[in-house]
Amino acid sequence: MLGKLIYENLQKYGFPYPVDKKICSGWAKDIPKNSSTIIYTSCMHQTASLSEFYSKLTPLAEKLSPFFFLGKLIRPKKEELDRAYLILNKIANLLKKNGIEFGYLYEEEPYSGAILLELGYLDEFKSYAKQVYEFFKNKGIKKIITVDPHTHHALKRYSEFIQFDIEVVNYLELIKDAKGLANDIFVVHDSCLYSRFLNLRDTYRNIINKSGIKIVEDELITGKDTAYCCGSPIKSVNPELSEKIAKARVEQLKRLSKNILVVCPMCYASLSKYAENIKDLAEVIE
Amino acid sequence: MSWEIAIERAITNSVPKVYKILEEYPYILELAKKLREAKMKVLSNLEEYIEQTLNAVKRTGGNAYFVHDGNEARELVGKLVGKGKIVVMGKSMVAYELGIRKYLISLGNEVWETDLGEFLIQLSDEPPSHIIAPAVHLTKERIAKLLKEKLGFDVSENSTHEELAQKVRDFLRNKFFSANIGITGANAVAADTGSIVLVENEGNIRMSTVIPLVHIAITGVDKIVPTFHDAVIEALVQAAYAGHYPPTYINITSGPSSTADIERKRVSPAQGPKEFHLILVDNGRIEASKDEILREALLCIRCGRCHFHCPVYRVLGSAWGDPPYSGPMGAMWSYIVYKDPKPAMYCTHSGNCKDVCPMKINIPKVLEYIKYLGNKSA
Repeated sequence: MLGKLIYENLQKYGFPYPVDKKICSGWAKDIPKNSSTIIYTSCMHQTASLSEFYSKLTPLAEKLSPFFFLGKLIRPKKEELDRAYLILNKIANLLKKNGIEFGYLYEEEPYSGAILLELGYLDEFKSYAKQVYEFFKNKGIKKIITVDPHTHHALKRYSEFIQFDIEVVNYLELIKDAKGLANDIFVVHDSCLYSRFLNLRDTYRNIINKSGIKIVEDELITGKDTAYCCGSPIKSVNPELSEKIAKARVEQLKRLSKNILVVCPMCYASLSKYAENIKDLAEVIE
Repeated sequence: MSWEIAIERAITNSVPKVYKILEEYPYILELAKKLREAKMKVLSNLEEYIEQTLNAVKRTGGNAYFVHDGNEARELVGKLVGKGKIVVMGKSMVAYELGIRKYLISLGNEVWETDLGEFLIQLSDEPPSHIIAPAVHLTKERIAKLLKEKLGFDVSENSTHEELAQKVRDFLRNKFFSANIGITGANAVAADTGSIVLVENEGNIRMSTVIPLVHIAITGVDKIVPTFHDAVIEALVQAAYAGHYPPTYINITSGPSSTADIERKRVSPAQGPKEFHLILVDNGRIEASKDEILREALLCIRCGRCHFHCPVYRVLGSAWGDPPYSGPMGAMWSYIVYKDPKPAMYCTHSGNCKDVCPMKINIPKVLEYIKYLGNKSA
């Protein structure tokens, strides 16, 4: 069972599939280790570009599991990793500029369990969430700042499964002021989770509008309940369908602008294959 | 024309229409809220409401039955219809779910779907691609070819939409007037009065329910609402969210037709049917009603709005779900009536469906739960 395999990987590698944890923490240098408030990446930005590779292995995962240690050798491409590191550093700087102090857990940072939740392995998610919560508690963590929608969503739902009393905020909620760095007119591809599950759609639209970046909207393409998904959540269930959804989404967005703005590393990983100019919000503000 | 173009056109036509209706008739939002509460009341106590409904139908002079599954349903309908009859059907997804049309044909009856989309589905022998627009995947050219090949209609690929609709009208008109039995579904069934409510725009349901001597309505127990008032509300809400408001026709049937105009003695039939039969179908619904999360799925009023907002349906069409159920609601219903968790696995939890659902069903959450049940039994 895939859920069991993911769960086992989480115990062994601290991630749904084997990765070198140094990849996850390599972006951070001067952030203190001990703090009751932390920036929490769940290694999503850093590994998003590997999702396609791993989703193709998923159907074979059980047969291949004895060889999964080889996965440790698999790294994101250098330019993908550099880009992820730049985004995380820019987010950290934005937070600092807005007067927020925080620490980071470096290689000790656990994964959120989001994939278990999204694939419907709810029992596994529950027991994994308990572990993560206990880990945070032992570290004295009182407040967690998330930087991607999947992690934010998973943590926000912990309390449905376990007793959970740690404050969770998203970095977008903490940024009051940011300056736009691009003159292009963008179309926003919303994160489904931010927009329709976590009520953050207006939060990042406000940041964009205040930053001076121009965006173009269309009721049937970027509306609150018409904007489509990037296809990423079902990559491991049906990679082909996931690709088709991504391709169709980019075609739609391009009707409004060839410059696409995303707020999620998984959306970036799915859509960037078909889009020439696609940026994460953190790349175009400071 | 490919599926991509067909669905794009359907979305562009349908989505803004519903927005406009809700803006022009804001009371619909209020009615939808009330309807959710009314339906929830029934679903929390379904077996008692089934009993109440069966009794109410009998009080109107109609016959009422409860069946557990497809086998029982087919057997009963087969008994009521018999052999060598002409049967006209008003679009009923539940009848499709139970395989009624094909079964009646196998018994030696002549059976015709009378909703234009469903009629085309019957001719093409394909699964319906949308819960209320079953032939949304067929182009005008393909439809002309189908009518010519299957029924010898004098039409060509240059025939207009109007010409095609007229030809079908002429053909079906004869069937209505020679039909022995009309079979429909029901949008809502009132537990207090035993009335059924059907909403439509083509007029085929009105004909099917009034012209033949026998009317059989077959529907899921999830369509029961506490009162006649609630049943009429359901028709209004369904029509609005389906993008056609006001609906051209709302049909209400409370038992067989009758008259007391001769010396105040009530006799049946008058101009409508002599017999009215209501068949309430379980087929997994009662079990689902006992599960707090799955119960939500039973609130669905089959408006088909969620389909047009779903990124997965847009790409997969009717290939997503077990016919006749497709789209986000279909991923839920494939599990409820066929115990198939696979369609749920394709949910990307985009969440548009839950935002546009008139019954505020948290569809992604229901599908997450079905994924869980599917994973557990795998």
